[in-house]
Amino acid sequence: MNRLTSATKTLLQALLVLLLVVFGGFPIYWMATTALSTNAELYNSGQVPWPQLSNLPTALEELTKLPLLRWLGNTGIVAVGTTLLSLILGSLAGYGLSRFRFHGKGIIGFLLFMTQVVPEALILVPLYAMFISLGLLNSLTGLVLANVGFSLPVAAFIIKGAIDAVPYEIEESAAVDNCPRLSVLTMIVLPIIAPSLAAAAVIAFFAGWNEYLFAATFLMDNSLWPASVGLASFIGQYETPLSAVMSAALIFSLPAVVFFLLIQRKIVAGITAGAVKG
Amino acid sequence: MPYAFMMLPVIYLAIFMFWPLGRQIWLSFTRTRLANPNRSEFIGLRNYERLFDNPDFYTALYVTVTYSLLAVLIGVAVGTVAALAMNRPFPGRTLVRAILLFGWAVPNVAAALIWLWIFNERSGVLNSIVTGLGLERITWLTSTDMALSSILLVTVWQVAPFVMLVMLAALQSVPQEVKEAARVDGADALNIFRAVTLPHVMPTLQLVSLLVAVWSIRRFDIIYLLTGGGPIGSTSTLIVKLRQVAFENHDLGLASAYGVIGLILALSVAAVHAAFNHHRQKGQS
Repeated sequence: MNRLTSATKTLLQALLVLLLVVFGGFPIYWMATTALSTNAELYNSGQVPWPQLSNLPTALEELTKLPLLRWLGNTGIVAVGTTLLSLILGSLAGYGLSRFRFHGKGIIGFLLFMTQVVPEALILVPLYAMFISLGLLNSLTGLVLANVGFSLPVAAFIIKGAIDAVPYEIEESAAVDNCPRLSVLTMIVLPIIAPSLAAAAVIAFFAGWNEYLFAATFLMDNSLWPASVGLASFIGQYETPLSAVMSAALIFSLPAVVFFLLIQRKIVAGITAGAVKG
Repeated sequence: MPYAFMMLPVIYLAIFMFWPLGRQIWLSFTRTRLANPNRSEFIGLRNYERLFDNPDFYTALYVTVTYSLLAVLIGVAVGTVAALAMNRPFPGRTLVRAILLFGWAVPNVAAALIWLWIFNERSGVLNSIVTGLGLERITWLTSTDMALSSILLVTVWQVAPFVMLVMLAALQSVPQEVKEAARVDGADALNIFRAVTLPHVMPTLQLVSLLVAVWSIRRFDIIYLLTGGGPIGSTSTLIVKLRQVAFENHDLGLASAYGVIGLILALSVAAVHAAFNHHRQKGQS
């Protein structure tokens, strides 16, 4: 009896897993097969349901007609800028929140949490107005400045959590040697929490990598477009070079997917920590 | 001393997050046009009066609440079931987990492109299957009765992997001794789940529900790119409406009012969660 239920359980599990794999994986599989189809197949004769590797040279040639490298370059600049600024400010805030008791600490924690509730669209218009006055509209710098508002708090929460776990004695021995507090942070604490720092960096990087709304609103020059805006510009166009767009989307997604898979646990910990501690 | 560390981040957020946020709330009490966003005229509650007189607003509110509620219910259910399925070891589990995470890892714009193609009325794969079964083509994104469901399908695809990861971590932290003890006492699997597992993962379940709810209220890209809020407003949430009224009708005051209602909605969800948390912590002590 017991063995029967166990066998049924295994069967049920297998079915469920299969269903989930199809649901989760099919869109990516379809992106790849679409990228390897010709536009005639896609729109006229019907799409072949498996990837046609023989079409790879044509697909690559089609792909070179898109300014993908420039888009990815812009995306990279925005993502790196967002990461650096988030890490610098996030380390300061994380250290401050972890190592000191001070007036208004609770409020600052709450405000950091608040940023995760605020819809990006809600600060879009005032930022737009502000960037006009500051001459930051239509610039990648403005985009970075806007993104960091959302990724800094997440970085701060991750870094605070990591520093909480570092024994304070390590810092005290440095303090004896009259080392300034900031140097203690950069030379002693940050190297110890390097894995968490890397996790915070990746989260910020992909927040910048994926961002669409600010980029679509603030950038008028299409030479400044990141890949998200460049790819989105094909939506609704009458004649979309669909297979090339899918190849580009695949290339654009790949780094994000790889890194998300590598540090999924850290990302989850960071996001939930921010929500719990608020 | 602590202030030296907190000063830069706090000033940064004050300038690039909270000042714009405050300004947005202020804008909702003014008449402001996009052409000249730095000049506004205070008009009190007039934008809100216009909002409450406008059937579009009630549609947007209804769409937002329905969308977020269903995203939480379905997304959390699918994610939790996936976590339960993944909690028992099986060969290839790591690979399967990687595949399940795709929806969460793929950038929104790329996700929109794939799903637009999957939903394509004439050549999309979903309609190939539907017509292959001998049924009528379905207008996934362009009919008022299907568009929101289609958007929800994509949302579940994106959100369920995150729910799965979080719930999997919670499930794996359920104390095995307690489960073992219950089994020895003759409890069956369902009873153990109800009496041991569920109470243990409840706080986590609550937390992911909050996160998914807030994300759904905030969500812009995927809806805007898939349907633009149409057809006839059937997928236009408050936030999609905010962007439209601001950048298509150039009416920043009214747009801000839409946004403020969206923010209030998101904050109330967070407040309900905080109240639950508080209640539970009091119950424990």
